[in-house]
Amino acid sequence: MQVGENRTTLLLLNAAPWVAFLAVVVVFGVLSDRFLTIQNFMNILTQSSHIAIMAIGITFVLLTAGIDLSVGAIMYVAVAVLALFLGGIPVVIAFPLVGLIGVALGAMNGYFVIKLRGQHPFIVTLATLFILRGAAIFLTDTRMVFVEESVMSLGRTSYFGVPWAIWVFAVVFVIAWIVLRETPFGRQIYAVGQDPTAAAKAGINVPRILFSVYCICGFLAAVGGLVSIAQVAAASSTFGFQIEFPVIAAAVLGGTSLFGGRGGVVGTVFGAVLIQTVQSGLVMTNATPYIYPLVTAVIIFLAVLIDGLRTSILDTLGRRKIRVEEIA
Amino acid sequence: MPIDAAETPVDTKVEIPKVRAFRRLLERLILSEYLVFYITGVYFLIVWPIVPEIASFSSLRNILTDMLPLLVVAIGQTFVLIVAGIDLSVTGVIAMASVVGASIMTSDGGYLQGSALAIPVGIIAFLVVGGLIGGFNGWCVTRLNMPPIIVTLTGMMFLGGAAIWFTKAHSPTSSIAGLPRAFVAIGGGTFAGVPIALFVAIAVVVVAHFLLSQTVFGRWLYAIGINPKAAKVSGVPVDKAILWAFVISGVCAAITSMLLTGRLETGTPVLGQRILLDIIAAVVIGGTSLAGGKGKIIWTVGGVLFLVTIDASLKLLGSSLFIVFAVKGGVILLAVGLDAMRQRILARGSG
Repeated sequence: MQVGENRTTLLLLNAAPWVAFLAVVVVFGVLSDRFLTIQNFMNILTQSSHIAIMAIGITFVLLTAGIDLSVGAIMYVAVAVLALFLGGIPVVIAFPLVGLIGVALGAMNGYFVIKLRGQHPFIVTLATLFILRGAAIFLTDTRMVFVEESVMSLGRTSYFGVPWAIWVFAVVFVIAWIVLRETPFGRQIYAVGQDPTAAAKAGINVPRILFSVYCICGFLAAVGGLVSIAQVAAASSTFGFQIEFPVIAAAVLGGTSLFGGRGGVVGTVFGAVLIQTVQSGLVMTNATPYIYPLVTAVIIFLAVLIDGLRTSILDTLGRRKIRVEEIA
Repeated sequence: MPIDAAETPVDTKVEIPKVRAFRRLLERLILSEYLVFYITGVYFLIVWPIVPEIASFSSLRNILTDMLPLLVVAIGQTFVLIVAGIDLSVTGVIAMASVVGASIMTSDGGYLQGSALAIPVGIIAFLVVGGLIGGFNGWCVTRLNMPPIIVTLTGMMFLGGAAIWFTKAHSPTSSIAGLPRAFVAIGGGTFAGVPIALFVAIAVVVVAHFLLSQTVFGRWLYAIGINPKAAKVSGVPVDKAILWAFVISGVCAAITSMLLTGRLETGTPVLGQRILLDIIAAVVIGGTSLAGGKGKIIWTVGGVLFLVTIDASLKLLGSSLFIVFAVKGGVILLAVGLDAMRQRILARGSG
């Protein structure tokens, strides 16, 4: 009926995340004169880097309509192994080994997800979450673990004035972006997420794709653990506990659908940075810490609300395929 | 994997009568609705000789009292899972209801401090908090077209923070103590030697079972879980039914909050924070499917019983936290594997 009106609303809804981001920056910029500085921007990126890296990993899984709750547990196992067993080994060798552990644990998730087809990955990775957290507690004996000075120094290193964590973040982002946009593998991930049956009929090896995305997610969870531990130097038994929720939230905030086939890493990075920007702004304006989760929750809620409205408007616009640019 | 071990006789080509009989028995066992009860029984019998204390009166009593709060909230979760939803906000509800209810009843400056109405109003406050949050979740899912996992995830984050903030505004410490004796009895008291919480939990079980198995509302929920479009076409008020499923989940979480708050004798914003995944695990172990359309209250009772029995036995065995986590994870995987097997057997039977 009011197609024209709907189209305008749609445009507004599409622009909403950017408007929200701008609004956040402007509001905090006015409230605090330290907010709009290069230094603060760097801080925001550094602090959000481990969440962003893990969220990029989980984006791959979400694109196949899966989910991975075990990322926090993988992160903890990876860091525990690094601290306890790879102490004297130079980081150039230790880090790839930790990455391999991430891949192996992701592969375990992938194996169970494929083997137990018909069961939602939610419950499968919930089980591995328990198992891996148990394994990490076994390794650390619930004690605090510390990493070598060589790892910690990475957390303080900068190249060309940009901290190490941001470089890792940037490299992961660029590779993930290229893989998803420019390779057949990336397109197959989207295809599997949109309709696994159709994808299988088109000759895509669906189990192989599913297996790969969980491996990628496991790997990036381990990388996230490394980036995080380089900054904080020590891990208690709650390291990575329930971090899966902000990680999933970052991806969803960036417009990646939980039902597969829609979204991308640009949005995810945007989501992770936005969450951290808001938190940083709240710190600078001396807001009480208890309000942080409230504000973060409201922002994610609004983002998903907008996404829901957009979908229903698209539905009313008729069956015609209308390509709506993702936030990407 | 025990799954593979159990599968071997199914795949054998040799049809020796004994093997066949064994296979049939195994299949019947796996297809049984009460499998989780059998497994709990067998598990109990295995553990008994190792730690005889588990069968002692005090240990059985502990299993029971540990089980009740988890059971009530898991029953609410069952309703939501049947319509293919999920409710992660229950721990937020538990925390929020706890501090709101306590702020009304506490003798350290509660809103109705010392009044005769304090307890009834306090209890109503618990239920209203749960019902409203559940209603809001349901409204967002049905009216605003939002995925349940995200709505309730943000609910969990928001309520967790809000409960701490609310406590700060009402109490100098991190919890609200000084609750009336009569209220505390709901969580920790006994009536004729039987915990009052048991009466509450039984009432919830009976009502929930009746709703799901005997009423049209129950049928609607299953129909929606199996195929929402078909249900809608058949005249089921889909949105309304989903909304009420979330309300029930919220109210059940509020009742759990009452039991836990009563037992601790304080309202605290970190109440129940760590049991979220246990709740979902218990329901799924019982046999309720995350995909919707399948689930029963009695299954959830079995799932909770199993999880709590494992917890209790591991505690008695002096196991480390590591074993507790690993066993829980293994049990979930086993439950999921059994369900996958069940579907395979059924598919073969019909095909």
